[in-house]
Amino acid sequence: MSVSENPDAGSLVDHLFRSRAGQMVSHLTRLLGPEHIELAEEVTQDALLKALQHWPYTGIPENPAGWLFRVARNAALDAVRHRTLAADKSASLAAEHFRNAEALTADDAELEEQLRDDELRMVLMCCHPAISHDARVALSLKTVSGFSVNEIARAFLADEATIAQRLVRAKRQIRESRIRFELPAGEDLNSRMDSALEVVYLMFNEGYAAQSGEDLVRQDLCGEALRLGSLLATSSVGTPQAHALVALMAFQAARLPARVDAAGELVLLPDQDRSQWDRSLIALGFHHFDLCAAGVQVTSYHLQAAIAATHARAQDGSATDWNLILDLYDQLLELSPSPVVELNRAVVVAKVKGPETALAALRPLAGNRSLRNYYLLPAVQGQLLFEIGDELAASQCFREALQHPCSEPERRFLQRKLAECLKTQA
Amino acid sequence: MAQYLLLLYNDPSDWKKMSPEDMQKAIQKFSAWREKIRSQNLLVGSHKLADEPGKVMRGKSPVRVTDGPYSETKEVLGGYFLIEAPNYKAAVDLARDCPGLEYNGTIEVREVDPMLPRK
Repeated sequence: MSVSENPDAGSLVDHLFRSRAGQMVSHLTRLLGPEHIELAEEVTQDALLKALQHWPYTGIPENPAGWLFRVARNAALDAVRHRTLAADKSASLAAEHFRNAEALTADDAELEEQLRDDELRMVLMCCHPAISHDARVALSLKTVSGFSVNEIARAFLADEATIAQRLVRAKRQIRESRIRFELPAGEDLNSRMDSALEVVYLMFNEGYAAQSGEDLVRQDLCGEALRLGSLLATSSVGTPQAHALVALMAFQAARLPARVDAAGELVLLPDQDRSQWDRSLIALGFHHFDLCAAGVQVTSYHLQAAIAATHARAQDGSATDWNLILDLYDQLLELSPSPVVELNRAVVVAKVKGPETALAALRPLAGNRSLRNYYLLPAVQGQLLFEIGDELAASQCFREALQHPCSEPERRFLQRKLAECLKTQA
Repeated sequence: MAQYLLLLYNDPSDWKKMSPEDMQKAIQKFSAWREKIRSQNLLVGSHKLADEPGKVMRGKSPVRVTDGPYSETKEVLGGYFLIEAPNYKAAVDLARDCPGLEYNGTIEVREVDPMLPRK
C-alpha cells in the first residue's frame, strides 16, 4: 500500500526558484503597480515558502513553475481584494488589471512571452534615473534576479544593513517619483538601456573577480549577468551594443575554468589550456558578436568584445593576432580613455613592439591617482623589466605590487615572479 | 513489516528568512530523501498539516479550547510521514537522513501499535 508516483515528475532545474522569483515579482509588479513592489515581493516569497512547506510531503509537482505562479497570483489577488475593501484607490485599479490579465494564463507560450516582457520592464525600471546609481544593481538583483538581501551583500562583499538600506531608499524613490512600469521610448530608452547594460556589466565584473573557493553566490553573478544581458539583447528593444556586451561576457566567462590550474595557481591568458575553455559559451559569444556588427556605431563594448573574440579565435597563445588586438586597443583608448585601458594596452605593446616600447608607454601612468592601489601596474612593469634582463628593478616592482591588495592566487603568482628574479640575480 | 509515524516539527520563522536559492536546495534534499524511501516501497503516505487553525482542547464541562500549541514552543508539528520498516531501529535510521534535522527541526519516531490479540 505504498504511494506510487510518476518518478519523472518533480525535478527542479538549477536556479529555478531564483529566476522564477524574479519573473513573478516582475509580473506581479506590472499587475499591482510599481508602488506595490513590496507586496509583489511578499506574495512571491510566500509562494516559495508554501512550496518549501508542502513539497517535502507531496513531492515536487509536475509543473513546479506553474504551481508557484498560481499560488503567488492568488495571494496577490486576495491582497488586492482585501485592500479594495479598504477603499484604496490604486488597489482597485490593480484589481482591474488583474481581471484583464486573467485571460493570459491560457496559453503557456503567450505567458512566457509576457513574462519576458515583464522582466525587461523591471530591469529598465530598476535603472530609472530617479534611482541612485549605487542602488540599481542591488534593486535589479533583488527584484529581477531573486537574490536575497543576504546574498546580495555576500556577492558584493558588503554589509547586509547597507544593502537593505539601499533597497528601502530605492523603493521610496520608485513611489515618490511615481515611476511607471512601462517601456521607455526615444532618447529616454537609449539612456535607460545604457544604464541597464552598465548594471549588467558591473554585476558580471563583480562575479568575474570572485576567486575559486569563494562563496558560490559571487560566481553566480556571472551567470545572472549573462541571463539579463541576453534578455536585454534579444528583446524588442535590443541593440547591437547589448549584443556586444553579451558577446564580451560570454567570451570571458568561457575562460573562467582555465583561469586557475589544478593546483589552484593563476594562469595568464596566453598560457591557458584552451581545451578547458567552455565551447558552448564561446559559440554563444560568436553568435552575439555577429549580431553586434549590425549597427553603424562602434562602442566600447564592441571593441572589448572584438579583443575577446580575437583571443577566442586563436588555436593557442602563440597564434594570437597581437597586431589586431593592439589596433583594437588603440581604438578603445581613443573612444574611452582610461589608465586601466592604457595599462592593458601596454601589455599588448610588449607583444608587438617589445618590452622597451611597452615600458615607455607605461611611463605616463606613474603616479596616476586611480592606479595608486592597483597591483597590476608594478606587476606589469616588473614583468617587462624582467624580460629586458633588469632583474634588480623587476624584483623591486614585484615587491611593490605585493604591497597592494590582491587575491591569494594573485599574491602567490607575484611571489613566484619575485623568486624568479632573485634566482636569476644570484 | 511494521508501520512507523515520523512526526516532523520545525520553527516556521527559520524558513521565512531563506533565499529562493536556499529554499530550492532544501526542497531538493527533501525530495531525494523522500524518493529514497518511496523507491523502496516503504512510503505509505505523507501529509503536511495546515498551519491554521490549531486548537488545543482540554478538560471537561466546560471544555477549554485554546490556540496553540504555539504558545508553549516555537516548534510546530509541520507534517508527518507514515513509513514501513522491518523494525524500530530501521525506522530511526531512515529518519536520521531526513533534511528536516539539518534545518533545525525535530523528528519524533513512533511505531504504529497494531495490538493484535494472540490467537
